[in-house]
Amino acid sequence: MIEVEALAARAGAFELRDVSFSLPHGAWGIVLGSAGSGKTTLLETIAGVRAAASGCVRLRGADVTQVVPERRGVGIVYQHALLFPHLTVEQNVCYGTHDPQHAVGLARRLGAGPLLARGVRELSGGERQIVALARALAPGPDILLLDEPLAAVDPRGRTRLRRELRALQRELSLTVLHVTHDLGEAGTLGDLAILLEGGRMLQAAAPEQLFRRPVSAAAAEFLGAENVYAGSASPLESGAGDEPGTMLFRAGSLRLVGLAAARVPIAHAVIRGEDVVLARERAGTSSARNVLEGVVSEIVKHGALARVTLEVGELPLVATVTAGSVSELGLLPGSRAVATIKATAVHLC
Amino acid sequence: MGSRGAHRVAAAGVVAGALLLLVLLALPIAALVLRGGMTGLEQLGSDRELRHALLLTAQTAIVATLVTVMLGTPLAYLLARDRVPAGTLVGALLDLPLLIPHPVAGMALLLAFGRASPAGAALAQLGLAIVGSRTGIVLAMLFVAAPLYVSAAREAIARVDVRYESVARTLGDSPIRAAWRVTRPLAGRGLLAAAVVMWARAVSEFGAIVILTYNPKVASVLSYDRFTGEGLDAALPVAAVLVILALVPLLVLRSLRAGTALGEPAR
Repeated sequence: MIEVEALAARAGAFELRDVSFSLPHGAWGIVLGSAGSGKTTLLETIAGVRAAASGCVRLRGADVTQVVPERRGVGIVYQHALLFPHLTVEQNVCYGTHDPQHAVGLARRLGAGPLLARGVRELSGGERQIVALARALAPGPDILLLDEPLAAVDPRGRTRLRRELRALQRELSLTVLHVTHDLGEAGTLGDLAILLEGGRMLQAAAPEQLFRRPVSAAAAEFLGAENVYAGSASPLESGAGDEPGTMLFRAGSLRLVGLAAARVPIAHAVIRGEDVVLARERAGTSSARNVLEGVVSEIVKHGALARVTLEVGELPLVATVTAGSVSELGLLPGSRAVATIKATAVHLC
Repeated sequence: MGSRGAHRVAAAGVVAGALLLLVLLALPIAALVLRGGMTGLEQLGSDRELRHALLLTAQTAIVATLVTVMLGTPLAYLLARDRVPAGTLVGALLDLPLLIPHPVAGMALLLAFGRASPAGAALAQLGLAIVGSRTGIVLAMLFVAAPLYVSAAREAIARVDVRYESVARTLGDSPIRAAWRVTRPLAGRGLLAAAVVMWARAVSEFGAIVILTYNPKVASVLSYDRFTGEGLDAALPVAAVLVILALVPLLVLRSLRAGTALGEPAR
């Protein structure tokens, strides 16, 4: 279990501030954020190799803020593996353990058996990461900190290593905190996603919630939400029995009905492209609260998917649909189209 | 003149300048070795004082280097890892002996550790006289050459990514054990090169030594002694042999630098 409370740390001129989250035992936490957002500083502070300026780190329920790294029972794998270059692969794997047989067995399980006698300079990026992982796990930590360990691995190796990591995590009941730029990894691996920006924590939530309900426009944009609008919102005055929390959002001529999670000042509406349904004409009555007409300004195809940009008044609305749907609807730049969005897909923040 | 012509003139200027500097540096050394080298090597068999001076120089330089390595490496480590309060000031203080004229350094050592000083008196009671002794030679060599070692060792350690130590700490090492098992071997080549530079500088020291300890004579003092007492021809063989012997550490140093650094993480 990893608990972090109002944590602050310094790395040169960079400052990490006010980070708080709780990752249960055996869970997989993902740390997201752009370069320089403080992801590695956070991991290093939890590992104890960087001192906390203030706040608290609790591991397995015990306050370890002042505990030296060698007594925290935490393994760390850096992005560039940082294998000790003066040692062989086997010596690296056995570095921190009194049980070399267990360490070698672990390395073999991860596929590093044939590498054991080699020097680390002869290894590929993926091989280095496998060895670094075996080295970190060999002393038997129950908490593993991963700093973009899959970034240097080729796509095939990445899939295999990700699968192996997941299996090991379940088998050893590891609590994992994993820094990544890959939003796909956040979705497939994570139980908790922590979003950092500029040294501050923007949000910590389940990945689904983070992607669907980003706490701010900055979070939404980082998480790849295609449609982020600045505007204002007020309670809906339809008198049609809408529950409190149903809001009318205004951005220029755009009007959207959406849901607000709490009574907070609302400045943005966020809609993910895959939540926008396109048609050529208005359908009959439906449960969707937002029906917007516009003109297609751009269609960009990426394999089986297509990003269709619709000009709705003076604002663009991006819909992610299948390339087949674009063909079936006969959409072309200049075509008129109707976009339908459920109020639950309009996230106000 | 076209751009190609200007480029040629500039290139010729660079080559000419480099050649001029090389001649300025190499000519006096070559003249010294050519005039006195063979005689000096021949004299090694018969000139007991020369043999003794060379041996004393090598021994005292080795002791000064070993003492500096033992005391200076931890300091270089702390400076490299920014763990010294007011590190910039400490670094500047360490460089100060390099800026002081060496006879002045000798005078400063005399003031601090001479018989009249409290420290000198205390050391004398322990049987460690600084003036006119091997201890004085070692102290003078250490004073003028240790900053070179600490500075070069600091750079060698700083080149080793501190995250190697971080990984070692998470694998159970204490800070000292991580530095010993990881940073020391990774910076080893640079530390050895720093020690060679220090030793070479100590061997060539004259100004500070001559103030503290004229006798027993190290090679540089013997060369000066023969120059003032018997003239250039008597001093040349001693100086030439010293230059020839100094070539050994320089060759070692070059071969060390030709190797690749271990401590930089592969990407």
